[in-house]
Parts: sequence; structure tokens; C-alpha cells
Amino acid sequence: MEFEFRFDIVWNNFPLLLEGIQTTILLSLLTMALGTVIGLFVAIVRLRARKIFALPLIIYVEVFRGTPGLIQIVWIYYCLPIVTGLQLDALTSLVIAMALNVGSYLSEVFRAGIQGVDKGHIEAAAALGFKPGQITRRVVVPQAAYRMIPAIGNVFVSAIKLSSLCSVLGMAELMYQGQIIIANFFRPIEVFTVVAVIYLIMAYTTSLFMMYLEYKLAWVNREKVPFWQRFKQISQSAFQIKPQGGL
Amino acid sequence: MTAAVNIKNLHKSFGNLEVLKGIDLEVAQGEVVCILGPSGSGKSTLLRCINQLNSPAQGTVYINGDPIGFEPLENSDLKKANQTILARQRSRIGYVFQQFNLWPHRTVVGNVVEALRIVKKMNKANAEKIAIERITEVGLLDWKDEYPDTLSGGQQQRVAIARMLAMEPEVMLFDEPTSALDPERVGEVIEVMKELAEKGHTMILATHELNFARYTADRAIFIDEGVIVEQAPAQEFFNAPKSERLRRFLKRMSM
Repeated sequence: MEFEFRFDIVWNNFPLLLEGIQTTILLSLLTMALGTVIGLFVAIVRLRARKIFALPLIIYVEVFRGTPGLIQIVWIYYCLPIVTGLQLDALTSLVIAMALNVGSYLSEVFRAGIQGVDKGHIEAAAALGFKPGQITRRVVVPQAAYRMIPAIGNVFVSAIKLSSLCSVLGMAELMYQGQIIIANFFRPIEVFTVVAVIYLIMAYTTSLFMMYLEYKLAWVNREKVPFWQRFKQISQSAFQIKPQGGL
Repeated sequence: MTAAVNIKNLHKSFGNLEVLKGIDLEVAQGEVVCILGPSGSGKSTLLRCINQLNSPAQGTVYINGDPIGFEPLENSDLKKANQTILARQRSRIGYVFQQFNLWPHRTVVGNVVEALRIVKKMNKANAEKIAIERITEVGLLDWKDEYPDTLSGGQQQRVAIARMLAMEPEVMLFDEPTSALDPERVGEVIEVMKELAEKGHTMILATHELNFARYTADRAIFIDEGVIVEQAPAQEFFNAPKSERLRRFLKRMSM
């Protein structure tokens, strides 16, 4: 008997997937936003504050980078209420769990970006009479932000895929909705294929957005090329050994 | 008349290494002083201590009578200055770095305008007018809208000098301004510094340019192992060095 692809089942149940997409986007965006706040906080404290305050944050980063995301999500969903007595709704506790995961990665991205700014540029500002806050705003942030964007993009794309783990706890996001269709029609290959393509579209949209941000923040746009042309250059350079077009 | 710079008993250590072992130095208004010495002798550290990029372990630096990094109290005791006061004091001291340290995310004009806008709170039109004047003075008007990484080292250093000049500092410090340049680019920076000296600015330079020290500076100072070994008017310094150490240094440098 020959196998016959039944994509019509997926199309017939597409409204279910659409609901899932909405939840996945909501989960991902909230996670990115909260994760960025956590990451910035951790990075700044680790760079500026005393060792005593930095130590718990180092432990936090290592724990969340070093354990499986699924366990983190399950643990915070079930154990946090038991340990702390806090009753959170599913969405909140899942977003907190994922944001802690994403924040641990982002804090390292931010820390490296801030530390990567040439000390001489900071001293030049200090010697001219800039106050510490002014140095941060006028010298450190513009340079660090631009250089960190590709790395931030990586973490954001992983955050979208991380949200699929929430299906385990019954959050009706894209993966969960897909599994419901599979359970009803026993068509895992077709459903997973379509679900994967949808994740790919969301991830690539994020990548494009980050690429646009990088283009916008670049201080040297020597050729004054429009974004779509710059985009073509970047895409082509992916197939060349010699890096091209950057700063 | 108070000295433009008055350094009293300056000490600085990095870990166990004592880099400055009690430096006393007075620089008069409009005087050009060159500091010479082997690498590691403490030239740069001395300049960095003057505007508190390194904080001295002991000793005080006075610029036109004001102790840098300190706030004089009513009973004439000194209290450590907060960041705001220190920043204001630093804005009165110009500093040119060996590595230029231009900001890569700002154009040539942008680099010069930045401190006028942020530190001096000037409006955009005034700041740009001053910036253009200073950039013209160092001969880079045609490059005003370029980003630093498209300029040669000599050009970058001239922009750095323009950026410093725009703040109208009372004293100018140059930390080996030509050491990172290609040999054929040294001349253009020396030219600019000569003009500044002729205009009567107070300048202290750490340098290896013996000709500049000999013919442009008023006074030369030889530092070795954290102490001032010898100082004299520039001509005398080179023509009749007294200490054995300076004689050996000059011989090595002119070889």
C-alpha cells in the first residue's frame, strides 16, 4: 500500500492552528520583552555592582543555561506555587519561566556587548568632561547596541521555539493545537510539516526584523543603499567565504 | 601669577609596582613642556594622573590653583570630589591619546560637536560653528562628514586634537600623540602641535619626538623609574645633559 499525503486534513483544521499561532506569538513576545528586562538587569549588576550582588546572578545564569528548558517550565509551573504559595495563572508562570531562560542567555549577550566597547572611547569621553551616565548613553549604548543585535536575534529565535514546550502543560499554542489535530486524525507527518513551516516563517520574520534593526542602527551606511539591496548583499554573502559589506 | 599646572608629591602604584615615586612639577602659563623617558618610566601615568584617568595614591595636582579630583572645603581641607565636579574639572584639561580614541559611531564633525553639546550644553548651531572652525584649523574641512575609520592615523589624531581644542582647555596634555602613526604621517600632527605652541597654549607632552622637544618646547624633563632625573630649558637639556642616565638615553634615542 502506498502512502498518501493528506494535507487536506491540515487545511480543514487550519482555524485551530491559527488560534495556536496567536498564543505562540503572544507567549514569544512577552518572553522576549521580559527576558530583555531581566537580561539587562543581570548584565548591569554583574558589570557595575559589588561581587556579593553578582554572585547569585552568576548562579542564576549558569542554572538556567545549564538545565533543560522543559524542566525549568515544568518546575516553575508546578513547584513555584508549592514552594512560595504564589498562585499564578498558566500564561504568567510560563512567561516567567521562559523569560528567566531567555534572560540568562541575553544577560551574557549584553555583558559581552558592553564590555566589548573600547576602553579608550570611554576614557576619551571622561577626559572631555562627560559624567558616567552621559558616557553610558552617548558612547557605550550606541556602540554596544549595534554590535549585539545579531546575537540578540539568535536568542529571540530560540525563544519562539522554546515556547513550543508550553504544549506539555496544556497551553493551547501552536504545537499543542497541532498535537490535537494529530490525536484526532492520526496524521503526524502532515501536521508537523505544516507546523514546522509556520515556526520557520515566524523565526525568519524575527530574523528579518533584527536585520532591519541592524541596518537602521549602523552608523556607517556608506553606500546609502536601501534596505532591500543591503538585504540582498547579506544573503549573498552567506554563500561566500570572504565576509563582505559589514563595518 | 599662579602656575597653570602645579603637581605636588605625586605617587602612583599598580599593585606592588611603584610607577611614580613623588613627582613635583610646576608649569607656567603658556609654557610647553616635553616629558621624555624610556617606556615604562611613568610618562603616561603622570599625564593620566593629572586629569584623574588614574587616581594618584598620594599627592595633588592643581590646575590654575584648583585641586583636581578634590573639592576645597571652607576650612581649606580637601574633600574627594564627586563625579559631577570631577567631570567639570576634566573639561578644563585637554587630553590627546596615543590611540586617538575617536568615537567610531560619530562623523568627524560629530566627534567634535559631541562634548560641546553634552558637556557645555551648547545648541546645535553654535556647537557646529565651533566644530567647523576647529576642523578647518587642523586642515580637515574636506573630511568633516567622514567616519573616523575611513581616515588615516594622522588625520584621526588631528581630529582628536580639534575635538580637544573645541573645549578651550586651560591646559593640554598629549600622551605620545605620534607614537601610533606611520612615520610619514608624524609630520602633519607635529605641525599642528607646533602651531598650538606658538599660539601660547600651555602644553605638556609625553613624546619620543626629540626634534619637537628640542626646537618647540620651552623645557624638557627626563623621567626614569618614576622620578624626575633631570630638567632644563630645551636647548640646554639636549646640548649639555648633566646626568649619566640622560646622556645614555639621548644617545640611544638618536642612534
